[in-house]
Amino acid sequence: MKARILDSADVLKIVDLLRQQGHEVFAPFGGRGRDTCYDSVTDQNRGEIQIHLPNPYYPPKRFIFPHIERLMKVQRSDGDLQIEPTYREPKRAIFGIRSCDVAGIWHLDRFFLGREHRDIYYEKRRKNMFLVNVVCTDPARDIGEECFCVCADTGPAAREHFDLQLMDLGGGEFMAVAGTEAGEALFSAPFFRKGTEEHVAKRRAILGEVRKSFKPSTTSWFSAAIRHVSAGRIQEKTWEEIGKRCLECGGCTYVCPACTCFTVSDRQVGPDEVERVRIWDACALGGFTRMAGGHNPRRAVHDRRNRRFFRKLSHYFIQRELSMACVGCGRCAAVCHGDIGMPSVVEMIRRETAEVDKHEPVAR
Amino acid sequence: MNLSPVDNCYLPKIAILDRVVDEIAEVKTFYWRFTDPAEQAAFKKFRPGQFAQVSLFGIGEFPASLPPSPTEADTFFTVKQVGSCSAALHALKPGDKFAVRGPYGNGFPMEEYYGKNLVFVAGGIGLIPLRSCIIYALAHREKYKRIQIFLGAKTPRDLMYRDNLREWEKSAGVECHLTVDRAADGWTGNVGVVGSLFKKPGVQVAVEDTVAFVCGPPIMFRFVIKDLKALGFQDKNIVSTLERYMKCGVGKCGHCCIGVAYVCVDGPVFTYDQIQKLGEDI
Repeated sequence: MKARILDSADVLKIVDLLRQQGHEVFAPFGGRGRDTCYDSVTDQNRGEIQIHLPNPYYPPKRFIFPHIERLMKVQRSDGDLQIEPTYREPKRAIFGIRSCDVAGIWHLDRFFLGREHRDIYYEKRRKNMFLVNVVCTDPARDIGEECFCVCADTGPAAREHFDLQLMDLGGGEFMAVAGTEAGEALFSAPFFRKGTEEHVAKRRAILGEVRKSFKPSTTSWFSAAIRHVSAGRIQEKTWEEIGKRCLECGGCTYVCPACTCFTVSDRQVGPDEVERVRIWDACALGGFTRMAGGHNPRRAVHDRRNRRFFRKLSHYFIQRELSMACVGCGRCAAVCHGDIGMPSVVEMIRRETAEVDKHEPVAR
Repeated sequence: MNLSPVDNCYLPKIAILDRVVDEIAEVKTFYWRFTDPAEQAAFKKFRPGQFAQVSLFGIGEFPASLPPSPTEADTFFTVKQVGSCSAALHALKPGDKFAVRGPYGNGFPMEEYYGKNLVFVAGGIGLIPLRSCIIYALAHREKYKRIQIFLGAKTPRDLMYRDNLREWEKSAGVECHLTVDRAADGWTGNVGVVGSLFKKPGVQVAVEDTVAFVCGPPIMFRFVIKDLKALGFQDKNIVSTLERYMKCGVGKCGHCCIGVAYVCVDGPVFTYDQIQKLGEDI
């Protein structure tokens, strides 16, 4: 992979280049306090783009897998039906996407484009998407209380699946790494220059330091939790304890960069016209598995909690998608009313295992 | 990203309803075909045990078993009116258009069962998916050894596919045993749960080198499994088809997942052995 150096003052010129190429660019903006969001870049707000800021709660996956997406339009006339699929393939770029969210999109790629059936709606939005990853290097602004990408092995610097990666080297310089040919093509712009050995050493040193600035967390026990969940070693009472704290709001799934479930709904949009849309759905919600007639195989709330963590952490699904359905962004921990986001669940599993596996001290 | 073009797996194709036949209370059979003959020909390659997604635009889409055998000429669904989609289907008149996509799922591996005895155990509308296998097996009669059918219904009025039942009862190539929970209308046959047929005098259930197909309501399923195991059936030789709430039918929407399996793509047909290893209650 090729790398270049650019001045901090020129970083937003990448946004300009992408816009000149015809991309609608989404970039992170700050609001009040912790509030941050991705928004479409315009000439007016371009100067307010922030490179270092807390990762927005509403994940950028929605630019590829929208919260609500129309699948088809159906016209009725004289007893006849006309079904017309409604595709959108906008040319878009996400500027400033964090490494965890890059891993989330990679997971969605594996899920929607892999196996027996490929999702054409996802594919059309994905193929024109350009990703500019920004490495989290500022402990005060980039790295949150709940971040655990280091444990999920997705960050702080993504190793692949981006088109271009930017990293703040300090001293008014950024390093840009190309992940694809399209990313490398940007290096023809005059504001990129070749780096030196010193720049590479600086990058290495910064990454080494950044890794230490994550809050000490029990998510370092993450891989062990995966082992225990996969082996079915978690006791029912632990799932029950987790279930008791779940308010079934579905918030964790809506902020998750790796959640893929959706429901499909028809709506009347005219006297003879119906549109079929898909909408994000959540395994946390009580009606998720309820069938016509009322039978619901997954009735207890702890069955649903168990389900979420099993789906995310079991080896079976990791092998199936070739990636874990948790990227360590910590959003679920930040939004959960009952404090049963992923880090807390890993901690509860650790505690339970410590209890189950406890043994008599060695006699002296 | 360079990706090859793909079909739209969510896009249903227009179908026309030809005729409707009343089966039992709230259950009707809907004969339909795709308006495009090429679609119809492609669809007809389905396997027994597969299913299709049925679209009633403005209401929604639901998964429906395929009761016909691919060896038959007609395509049809047999559907009980339970929710809003099935109610909308029941409201259609011959000539009305709706939409269908599929076939989906693994289906029963009927070729793997060549040379074996087949035992079909169905309760109520559990006969809908098994009808396909029975007709298929009878169309390939020389490929299988004994074929036995054990069918239970609440009352004689709840017995469906009566023309088929009469045919199977008369046929020399198949043993067909019926039972009802409550006798009525001059019923002279067996009264009791479907498992009671296994112990009826003169009935000898094939066990060795046999595959048992079980389909019916959850309570019937539990008891029949117990009875079959008592007869000596191994878990791997008992097959069933599961049903779940589904939105896509192609392994994406997430609703039908049971433990490690997506019912729509890994199922709906599972052996009892596999069912126990899913890691979640069915």
